[in-house]
Amino acid sequence: MSAVADLPPTVAAAPSRSAFGAAFDKGFEILCFSAATFLLTALGGIVISLAIGGWPAFETFGLNFFISAEWDPVQEIYGAAGAVTGTLVSASLALLFALPLSFGIAIFLVELCPPMLRRTIGTAVELLAGIPSIVYGMWGLFVFAPWFAKHVQMPIMMSVEPGSFWEKITTGVPNGAGILSASIILAIMILPFIAATMRELLLTIPAQVRESAYGLGSTTFEVIRKVSIPYVRTGAIGAVMLGLGRALGETMAVTFIIGNAHGFPTSIFASGSTIASTIANEFAEATERLHSASLIALGLVLFVITFIVLALARLLIGRQANL
Amino acid sequence: MNAQLDNPPETAVLELPPEVVKLAIKDLTFFYGQKQALFDVSVSFAANAVTALIGPSGCGKSTLLRVLNRMYSLYPGQRAQGQVLLDGEDMLSPRVDVATLRARVGMVFQKPTPFPMSIFDNVAYGVKLYEKLSKADMANRVEDSLRRAALWDEVKDKLKESGLSLSGGQQQRLCVARGIAVKPEILLLDEPASALDPISTARLEETIAELKRDYTIVIVTHNMGQAARLSDHTGFMYLGKLIEFGETEQLFTNPVTTRARDYITGRFG
Repeated sequence: MSAVADLPPTVAAAPSRSAFGAAFDKGFEILCFSAATFLLTALGGIVISLAIGGWPAFETFGLNFFISAEWDPVQEIYGAAGAVTGTLVSASLALLFALPLSFGIAIFLVELCPPMLRRTIGTAVELLAGIPSIVYGMWGLFVFAPWFAKHVQMPIMMSVEPGSFWEKITTGVPNGAGILSASIILAIMILPFIAATMRELLLTIPAQVRESAYGLGSTTFEVIRKVSIPYVRTGAIGAVMLGLGRALGETMAVTFIIGNAHGFPTSIFASGSTIASTIANEFAEATERLHSASLIALGLVLFVITFIVLALARLLIGRQANL
Repeated sequence: MNAQLDNPPETAVLELPPEVVKLAIKDLTFFYGQKQALFDVSVSFAANAVTALIGPSGCGKSTLLRVLNRMYSLYPGQRAQGQVLLDGEDMLSPRVDVATLRARVGMVFQKPTPFPMSIFDNVAYGVKLYEKLSKADMANRVEDSLRRAALWDEVKDKLKESGLSLSGGQQQRLCVARGIAVKPEILLLDEPASALDPISTARLEETIAELKRDYTIVIVTHNMGQAARLSDHTGFMYLGKLIEFGETEQLFTNPVTTRARDYITGRFG
């Protein structure tokens, strides 16, 4: 026992140090708790202020605010249906275009790509994600739209039968700015996010699982379709929803190229508007109380739509995780 | 130790009579990029027998298995030279379709690798790739495979549940069932029990002993007791070379080479 007595005093003082540690832990706990509380407070604050700010619009138009597509600042009549439809249609079309492309990129990078090319393409995907959205907007308006009008829109409009269903959904001013062009630009913007997330997910598949599938005599396509993609299903839904969330809220690029016409979009080439583009376009001029209230109400609607998308994603992921 | 020679040979590989040989490896060398992992390995595996491969980590025994179903060809830079003769036909020839080869040579890995689908679908997966079976036939095949893997009684009431919901030992037997459902000729087992508890290991060993009647089995194991219990022939590998190959009993009681003797008596490894 003499060894204990010989120990330097710092060791003998150990109990006081651990008391300090416990107190510090308590403080640390409180700090982390406040950080989380701050987040909830900010979220609640935003929702409440949007609801209060938008209240005059809900009060004046009632249900019509959601089902009417008439948006007329001169007569002070505001209905969100046009912008909501524009938002949903452009985001869904964007997802439709981006999904196969980004899955293709991710699968190619992980399963098929020669190692030499892997880094180059991977970096290119990341660079694409780094381009500011205003640059996409400018490129879309000045470069893509004229090209699109000349080489896609015009040939399609010329070739559809007059009076047919196809003619109805392809009418529009042939300037290249419209719902479809906006969707394509959006698709290019969300593509790198989905592709990069999918790539990370595919890389988490243990080599032995893939080898087991190959070991049973599967071809590469069978391994990817029946084992790799189901393996990352849960995460893949998350990646897709992440992309959809971005597409729903994207503002600058869409404002540039969607044409900014109010009303219900009836054709894929017609000018339209989204919630975000309407707000961006009109906020500076919204001097009337009802106008600004309607814009804030639009913001709340966008918030709710995004929330629903995320909630659906959670629900789907939860269901998959149980499988 | 009475048969020990004064000058023990460097290597001693038993030649099996040709009529019992299912799989013959001739002068096999293997490279991971620049690094050579196998040096002129020549050995034969008998039909309806269990052959164990033992040796210290990194000796090339797993590499040897990966050559037998050409799993290495998934990775650029890995290449094999020599011959792997399955019933006399060279499996390393580029003319052999690699997917068909892998259907003939099944493999079970160190860790259980159930696919993200139901227990039933896990077993049916490989069968569906090559055979069009009626629903009843498929159900029979799945049941038969699960029975042979000694898993049927534990899962017969929950075939629709995910394969991932099983315990580790059950998952590994599921992988065995999946492997034998496609009726391969050869079953390669790469340390199949290393992640299992003793009870699961015992059950898996019983399964392997049962399967021997229909399959040619090659098992890589770190567990020398397991090799001694299960196998008919044993090969001892060291630094990419096959040092000694022979009847299991002879190799474990009376190894000819110094290296094998040192390894088995626990002097190294």
